[in-house]
Amino acid sequence: MFTKLRTTSGTRDFLPSEMVDQGYIEERFREVFRSWGYDEIRSPTIEFLDALTVGIGSELSDNMFKFQDFDGKIVALRSEMTAPVARIVASKMVSTPEPIRLSYITNVFRHSRSYVDRLREFWQAGVELIGLGTPDADAEVLALLFTSLEEVGLKDVRVDVSHAGLLKELLRAVSLDREKEHDLRALMGYRDWKQLEEFMRQNELPAELGEVFQGLGRARKLSEVSATFPLLSKFPDAQSFMKNLLAIHEILEDYGYADRLFFDFSLTRRIEYYTGIIFEASVPQVGSPIGGGGRYDDLIRKFGNIGVPATGFAIEVEKCLQALSAQGSSTPMSTGVRILVSSQSRNGGLKALDAIRKVGAIGLLDLRGENKAKTMDYARLAGIDFIVFVSDSALREPVTILNVQSNRIETVELRDFLKSIGGTA
Amino acid sequence: MGGKIRIAIPSKGRLREPSIQALGKAGMKVIGEARTYVSDTSNPKFSVVFTRAFDVPLYVQYGAAQLGITGHDVVLEREADVYELLDLGFGKCELVVAVPENSAIHRIEDIPPGAKVATEYPNLSRKYLEKHGRQVEILTVRGSAELAPKLGLTDIIVDISTTGETLRKNNLRKIASFLESSCRLVSNKIAHRTLETEITALSERLRQGGSGIQ
Repeated sequence: MFTKLRTTSGTRDFLPSEMVDQGYIEERFREVFRSWGYDEIRSPTIEFLDALTVGIGSELSDNMFKFQDFDGKIVALRSEMTAPVARIVASKMVSTPEPIRLSYITNVFRHSRSYVDRLREFWQAGVELIGLGTPDADAEVLALLFTSLEEVGLKDVRVDVSHAGLLKELLRAVSLDREKEHDLRALMGYRDWKQLEEFMRQNELPAELGEVFQGLGRARKLSEVSATFPLLSKFPDAQSFMKNLLAIHEILEDYGYADRLFFDFSLTRRIEYYTGIIFEASVPQVGSPIGGGGRYDDLIRKFGNIGVPATGFAIEVEKCLQALSAQGSSTPMSTGVRILVSSQSRNGGLKALDAIRKVGAIGLLDLRGENKAKTMDYARLAGIDFIVFVSDSALREPVTILNVQSNRIETVELRDFLKSIGGTA
Repeated sequence: MGGKIRIAIPSKGRLREPSIQALGKAGMKVIGEARTYVSDTSNPKFSVVFTRAFDVPLYVQYGAAQLGITGHDVVLEREADVYELLDLGFGKCELVVAVPENSAIHRIEDIPPGAKVATEYPNLSRKYLEKHGRQVEILTVRGSAELAPKLGLTDIIVDISTTGETLRKNNLRKIASFLESSCRLVSNKIAHRTLETEITALSERLRQGGSGIQ
């Protein structure tokens, strides 16, 4: 009923005032990504389901919007951008020299079966660094994540890291089904050692593993993680994963972010393609991560026959806005000065508007053509800062300018006025 | 983080008083709890918010409260993405399937296809009954599911039961039980990272305080 006036569940309109904030954040991300050399790309909103679901796992693919194309093929709305980027790199950027640095700011779509009406269309800003498998590549991506979040004005950002292969490697020797593995991860997150012991006993896991899980579960800071290193001596692969994480941590010291990098070995991502470091960014004021990512060295191979290591992150734009407001800071109002030109001659008015817009202010032509009093009423309601009255086609100086807020009228040269309000030309 | 750490606890019902008591045993007195939504505690770092037990997981998952006290059954029913840090021991109950005493249904297998079931736990009920191959129509009610058979709304209910007293009083007979629950300390996942020291300390005090009761 009344569907004419509503948007569908989980979607929303962005009114002008919201677009100021949303646009500001997107622009900041775009600038930071560009200044780090991450070129922006776009991909179609709709793609073949097969292409979008490569490597992402069932949790995300179950929640995709799918429908049938006119020729009967199944298509879907993108639910994240890493798979499309992998497809593009494997098919269209094969001869581009590596590393390839790409970025995107785009909307993604996910159905949510949660008990609250979550947004089903939301915006992600992210980067992918393709072609290198080194700790330096992961560290650059993590540093860019910190920098991007700081650039939009967020405080107290922290990133928690783990390794996608670590727990898998430790559990390889024992046979646990996926549900049990999930339980074990959760128990490590809870840091409830009694329950963990109980779990180990029930599932007949070797005691030496218990020691490892407890050590890893407790470890948050670098020193604590380093202390668990000897425990891993019986698990050489797990030990090399750990070495990798420590190497990345060390590089982040040079970037100046190491003190805000923590370890959380219970961390899981909902996407399955990760093979190396995985991470989540958060701020204390918001109850869910505002961004995350990791290394995915096998994904691009699944699109082409070339194995290309890659790493990247995605930030949720709306969560950043939520975090900014929870931290009590707002995005700067960058709307600019709004100047209405009321002219008896169209030619004179257009000349004035040209001058206004050239200095970076916002110039609006008064299309209502009402008397002065009504024009002033309108200006007040419409958030206009100044009205410039132009009387003839030659734009004869000086002109009459009304300051809408103070109601003061002055007669000045337009150029001098624009300079006085901070015009850039 | 600037503000106090908020603990969401049930505003009424069988879990309210034991929750306040448990915090008290852990050395945290709730100040001025009567008829307010937010109360300070004797610990300046923590405050308490009173919400419906069913809403506690929601407040905690979304970080409006960093911690919460509520039933394990409620966390599962809400499919809340929170950590259950500690079994507080009190509020023990089970989810039961019950029918009027004179009903011909004696086992789950007797439930006919299309039977109506009244419950406050639609998710858990559907999962359990589907697992046993029962296709039923679930009617979600708020509180007092035991009224439904009395008034002829449904022949079957799924509800929590502690002693069986409410069932007996309403001439209902349990035919199956499927989830043992008790009260839990739950935590927002991000808060558990950023406020780890405070949360771990409280959890430890609650554990020690609770070891006396059980």
